[in-house]
Amino acid sequence: MTKKERAVGIDLGTTNSVVAVIDRDGAPRILTTEEGSTTMPSLVWYSPDGPVVGERAREGLDQSPDMTVFGAKRLLGRRFDHPEIRKLARILPYELTEAPNGDTWIQLSAGRAISPEEVSALILRELKRTAERFFGEPVTRAVITIPAWYDAAQRQATKDAAQIAGLTVLRLLSEPTAAALGHGAHRGADRRYLVCDLGGGTFDVAAVDVDAGVFEVLATTGDPFLGGDDVDRVVVENLVRDVRAARGIDISTDAIAIERLRLAAQRTKHELSDRQQAKLAIAELAQLPSGKGVDYARNVRREEVETWAAPLIKRLEAPVREALRRCARRNEDVEEILLVGGSTRMPIVRRELARIVGREPSVIPNPEEVVAVGAALEVARLDGTIEGVLLIDVAARGLSMSTQDSECEMVIAQSAIVPTREHRLLATRQNDQPRIEFDLWEGESPDPARNRHLGRYAVVDLPLAPAGDVLVLVEVTIDTDGVVRLGAAELVSGERLTLEQIFHAGLTRAEVTRLARQMLEAPA
Amino acid sequence: MATARTLHVRCSTWEQVEVFTTRKLRKGKLLSMKVPFEAKVGTPVTLGLELPNQLVIAIDGIVQRASPVENDRTWIELELSMSDEVMLRIKAMASHEVEPGTDPQIQSIPAVRKSTVQQADDLPADERELFQHLSGELRRLRAAAVHDVLGVPANAGPELIRTSWKNLIRRHHPDLVARRGAPAITHLAEELTILSNRAYDRLRAALVAEGRGVIVGPTLSTPPGWLVGFEDISSGDGSPAPRVPTKFERAESPAPAATPSAGPLQGGEAFETRARAMLGQGDANAAREVLAAALVIYPRSKSLRSMYYVATALVAVQDGEMMLATSQLETALAHHEQCNEAAAMLEYIRKHGTPKADDMRRLFL
Repeated sequence: MTKKERAVGIDLGTTNSVVAVIDRDGAPRILTTEEGSTTMPSLVWYSPDGPVVGERAREGLDQSPDMTVFGAKRLLGRRFDHPEIRKLARILPYELTEAPNGDTWIQLSAGRAISPEEVSALILRELKRTAERFFGEPVTRAVITIPAWYDAAQRQATKDAAQIAGLTVLRLLSEPTAAALGHGAHRGADRRYLVCDLGGGTFDVAAVDVDAGVFEVLATTGDPFLGGDDVDRVVVENLVRDVRAARGIDISTDAIAIERLRLAAQRTKHELSDRQQAKLAIAELAQLPSGKGVDYARNVRREEVETWAAPLIKRLEAPVREALRRCARRNEDVEEILLVGGSTRMPIVRRELARIVGREPSVIPNPEEVVAVGAALEVARLDGTIEGVLLIDVAARGLSMSTQDSECEMVIAQSAIVPTREHRLLATRQNDQPRIEFDLWEGESPDPARNRHLGRYAVVDLPLAPAGDVLVLVEVTIDTDGVVRLGAAELVSGERLTLEQIFHAGLTRAEVTRLARQMLEAPA
Repeated sequence: MATARTLHVRCSTWEQVEVFTTRKLRKGKLLSMKVPFEAKVGTPVTLGLELPNQLVIAIDGIVQRASPVENDRTWIELELSMSDEVMLRIKAMASHEVEPGTDPQIQSIPAVRKSTVQQADDLPADERELFQHLSGELRRLRAAAVHDVLGVPANAGPELIRTSWKNLIRRHHPDLVARRGAPAITHLAEELTILSNRAYDRLRAALVAEGRGVIVGPTLSTPPGWLVGFEDISSGDGSPAPRVPTKFERAESPAPAATPSAGPLQGGEAFETRARAMLGQGDANAAREVLAAALVIYPRSKSLRSMYYVATALVAVQDGEMMLATSQLETALAHHEQCNEAAAMLEYIRKHGTPKADDMRRLFL
């Protein structure tokens, strides 16, 4: 067998991303960025000299917030009219715009719009380079983790981003499964896990069962707007108030001062995870009208931050309860709680989750990295190094189909196990009808308005025959990654027919190929 | 103008196919049925008959008689233009007289699912063997009815179906052959897994419809309380049943309530007495367990149900969760107005705040 090309496991996060590999000795290993950190901010600054990714892009937050894209994962594969996007559009410092096909794009101030796929691709390419520096040879394949609730369009968009970055996706792995795998659940006894993932911007809860090496995600819930960044925000709000009281100046409208305060607050928050008190000091936080600099320093106690964050911490309970309710479980049924994501390092988060479930969570030494470790182990599993482990996934949403003005008809039900395939018969309605058009929707409602439009397709070059004589069998396949594939055949002859995309959510194949080539040619 | 319509008829077992060909079809070509659209005499209707082996056979037909019934539905009589030859083949497959897939005649039935295009010739020797094994499996399973795919009897229960499905994907999942990097083999494994998953999904859906199964994500399990049987319940007080709906609950009206006469303890009284004794000792958790078990057997007993919520409230009081306790007590009263304990506790909480454990215990002595 020829030597395989290198593969990596990537946790593509909303706030931070991590890349891990399986080392030569077979152990998973987290790679460090050039700055020496194991996590890289999922941040791209479109600077005048070209895009800057990761830690160095933080400068962009200071200098030109409208040109610095963070949290692109939230935008990936989302329609512009989605309620979450409407909410984001109000709070993000950069501008969102609607692409011709209804997708959400980012309007950079230079009058140039870019897709979230391109932003994610830049982040993936940076991680790919990190791995290439480690191996000293090209890396072309990756397992990328995604939230379990991602729909087909979001999964496809993630795959497209990887393709643009020059990575072949071996598997899209759901984050809770990756966390359980990274925790070593495949080696231990059969367990019923509750995975609580509190990252920078999102909180995800999943019930994961591991039974004789078979991983199954039973239910997922979460709060898409709850994370460590929110804690930073409330700390900053309180510090701004404190600055006003102590120094008599209002810095709430000074973007640069706020950003400095946010960085300092984040550092202090991290320190407070291990200590009761930390010192926060910023030299030249802002300038007085006279041009004189204002310094700011104070001691912050852990209890203070916990009091400020209390309203946020309260929001942890509802998703956990809902997840347990959906799988008809009681607290006692949970055999192990896994805490994932950097924000679970905060003692108050651990205490609160322990209180909600009534069980002390397991201590994972590296909650930020465990998902990436799981992704790297998945690489090993697919390469055959880890045996006897199977990951079962279900369709996150149902799929429906409609023709012309008809109602949507469900083709594949939610929670169907993937890979799966169903088919529908379509008949011509006119004599010598050359093509049949149909729409594909995500959702199970008969009312199209309540489903998400995935695309409009046409079966073309039909044989000429009287109305109703030509029957087309459309096959809808959801593959192991949860991505939708379509196929069409003429029923009587079994002849394969050509499918044309008329409208399609996400980037077209041609665009992806063009962007991939562009990125390959772009200077490093 | 009458537009052409396509009707999809799915037969999930060969028995259904046999019933369809022998009893549903009159004179071998007339089919009467209710359809969810308006149809006129002369409307062409194509029937897509899906066999349990997932072959779809298209049969053209013309509406001979039509009369509208309620809700845009029409009763129609359809004359199918099915040749005797096709009919014979379907019948042959249904009665398993020929091994489908091996008989060249059967393969000539219009079917879309053609075997994979890949050939075994250009594979290395060890992979060729696997390829041939997998494609043999695929041929066999494609011709099989859903429960035969999983190798379970037609009336199999949730546990057996789930175990068989797990065993099947443990053998066939494409991830297990991914390391070979042979697209032909991965493709076959994926097709086999799709077949297994579909069979599992269909059987799961059937069990849920019958009330014999509960689905959470990819799992399938027996609904709690199923084995008790609802015909055992004599009281007809009409409070909502606590568990998933089962076919028994769709009965029009419950049997006339038995008159509460003397005799052995009625309904759940034995349980209630036990639970009260436990509450009297301050062991709310144990009482709650007893009541939960009792509710599985007597799901419509108002007093058991309200007592369950009272016990839950007491557990909440012990944990210091007064909000939860209050809401549980209110729920108890909503289920059973005469639940004196709930009323008394609520009043106590409103007057004095967090109650003392001893005061609560005394209520049940």
